[in-house]
Amino acid sequence: MNISYLGSELLHRPRRSLAALLSMTFGVALLLSLQAYSNGYRLAARAPLAEIGADIAAQRQGKVPQAFEGILFPHSTAPIHSDEIDTIRRIAGVEDIGESVFFWDFEKSGFLVVLGLNPASKTGPARLGSAVLQGRFLGTGDHDVAVADATYARSNNLSAGSNVSIAGRPFEVVGLVDTSRIGQVANANLYIMVDDARALAHAAKNVMAVHDFRPTDANIVFIKANQAKVESVAQAVGSVLGSQALVSSAQSFSEVIGEAYGLVDRFSWLVGLAGLLVAVVGLVRAISSTLRERRRDIGVMRAVGWSRGDVSMQLTSEAVSLAAGGSIAGLVLALLVSRVLSLMRVSIPVPWELSPTPHFLPGGAVPMAVTISLSARIDPLPAALTVALSVLCGLAVGLWVSRRAAHIRPAEVLRSE
Amino acid sequence: MNELLKCIDLHKSFGRVDVVKGVSLSFHTGAFSSIMGRSGSGKTTLLHLLSALEAPTSGSIFFEGKEINSLNEDQLALWRREHIGLVFQAFYLIPTLSALENVAFPLYPVKVTPDERRERARARLEQVGLGHRLEHRPSRLSGGEQQRVAIARALINHPTLILADEPTGNLDKKSGEEILEIFSRLNREEGVAVIVVTHDSEVAAVATHSFTMVDGTLEDGKR
Repeated sequence: MNISYLGSELLHRPRRSLAALLSMTFGVALLLSLQAYSNGYRLAARAPLAEIGADIAAQRQGKVPQAFEGILFPHSTAPIHSDEIDTIRRIAGVEDIGESVFFWDFEKSGFLVVLGLNPASKTGPARLGSAVLQGRFLGTGDHDVAVADATYARSNNLSAGSNVSIAGRPFEVVGLVDTSRIGQVANANLYIMVDDARALAHAAKNVMAVHDFRPTDANIVFIKANQAKVESVAQAVGSVLGSQALVSSAQSFSEVIGEAYGLVDRFSWLVGLAGLLVAVVGLVRAISSTLRERRRDIGVMRAVGWSRGDVSMQLTSEAVSLAAGGSIAGLVLALLVSRVLSLMRVSIPVPWELSPTPHFLPGGAVPMAVTISLSARIDPLPAALTVALSVLCGLAVGLWVSRRAAHIRPAEVLRSE
Repeated sequence: MNELLKCIDLHKSFGRVDVVKGVSLSFHTGAFSSIMGRSGSGKTTLLHLLSALEAPTSGSIFFEGKEINSLNEDQLALWRREHIGLVFQAFYLIPTLSALENVAFPLYPVKVTPDERRERARARLEQVGLGHRLEHRPSRLSGGEQQRVAIARALINHPTLILADEPTGNLDKKSGEEILEIFSRLNREEGVAVIVVTHDSEVAAVATHSFTMVDGTLEDGKR
């Protein structure tokens, strides 16, 4: 292969070179841009749960409370028994579990949303420990203390050191937290120790009237799972919790994002590969036209002493260079497209069940959503694979053209033209 | 003088058409020969057979005493590169390359440094009077200049034999004379054997040996 001849051919046949380069550029850019778009939505679908360090939220639907007095469970947070939690813990791919008890408290003085959590857990709302605005967060060994949501605290004149009452039991507010830091999942007004919440719920007549809640149970379980097994874990959790299971995961969020995304996610590889195939056809056309244009040149090569291998190497290197150049330009274009896509903001609807508020209260029926920037990034591995695939296609095209060139008889082309 | 190229009972047919019919002749080292003939007489086909661009239907070709018919296509390409310089009526320069690169073209597959390749090509171009046109592409050269580039290309590997097919056919009288003068000088000063195929008797007159082809057969011998 001679680099200067290669350069001259590519440079001095600009229409052919541009056609092949652009063809490969757009094919590769289409494939990678679709991947970036799909990746962005996949990451967005993980966002609501990722903000609390979980991949799956497991709940169970239960009976509607008989009366809205004192502590009660929303119908989407029926008890999950400790033996079921142990079974979930043993599912292959489960890495960590955060147990929570979520309840409403209807008192004459007002309405409260309370979440009991284990502050030692790294999965679930305990991540609020990093969002303390005043005072401190809950700690292991605490009892009868609460942390208040900053917005709720402001409207109720609470601060660290204030006292609040939950179902008539006094709790000292030890800190204020910025709930918005953990998105819209399992938001509450007050956060208390999970054991305190269990005790309160077990003693609540409107809980026990419709549920078999035991002092070791929870009603929302947050699960951190091996990333490769999230959906299989979610499926297994659903089987453990039975027909009333409400299991939220990236998959369930992606289902509510929209059909357009679903189509892109499902067919992005297919459409992208089809685009790349069209690009390769463009490359074949450009290189084939070269062969027609250069029959005489190939005859000259053979006449002045180039072997078939030399001719093949030269033609193949031209095709590979065009494919490689086009795919690198395609990669750059895809990076630009992904930057533009990243300017988009996507709204991920959070189902009412994940952060229930009574519909009859002001704002209770307002749909909630997590709005984030679309993180449309191009993963290095698919990008490298796409470039490698393009170069391989260039190699295949080059070898195919070389085979055809081998049939050119120099005497024939040097006589007739 | 030693026998350089010899062919014995050479035949070439395309389908049912016999183009070369039992040609036997020999060329000697350092000779300047011409093969004359009208259009369609089979002289270009004979040149293609002698340069192994075309395989004979039957007959044998010997170069420096070795039969070349048994060589495969790649071996024949290598043989051409080492011993033969080809010049065509239509020049057949590579349009995307400069004059210098065209001259160096046969060296591209050879392991020589770019500097050496450039230097050898430049020397050959200067030899044919085109030292001032090194970077010009063929489209910016006159017909005579293009043919001189083609001759420089044929000379780049120091061939022992130049085979030229109607080298002045596309040129005006003055340019044609210049090209023939270059061939004569090469033959005289460097001892390169030259075989020119032509229909022009004035061109044939420059050669020291002349053959005439009529309807695929060799009619005449020495001048």
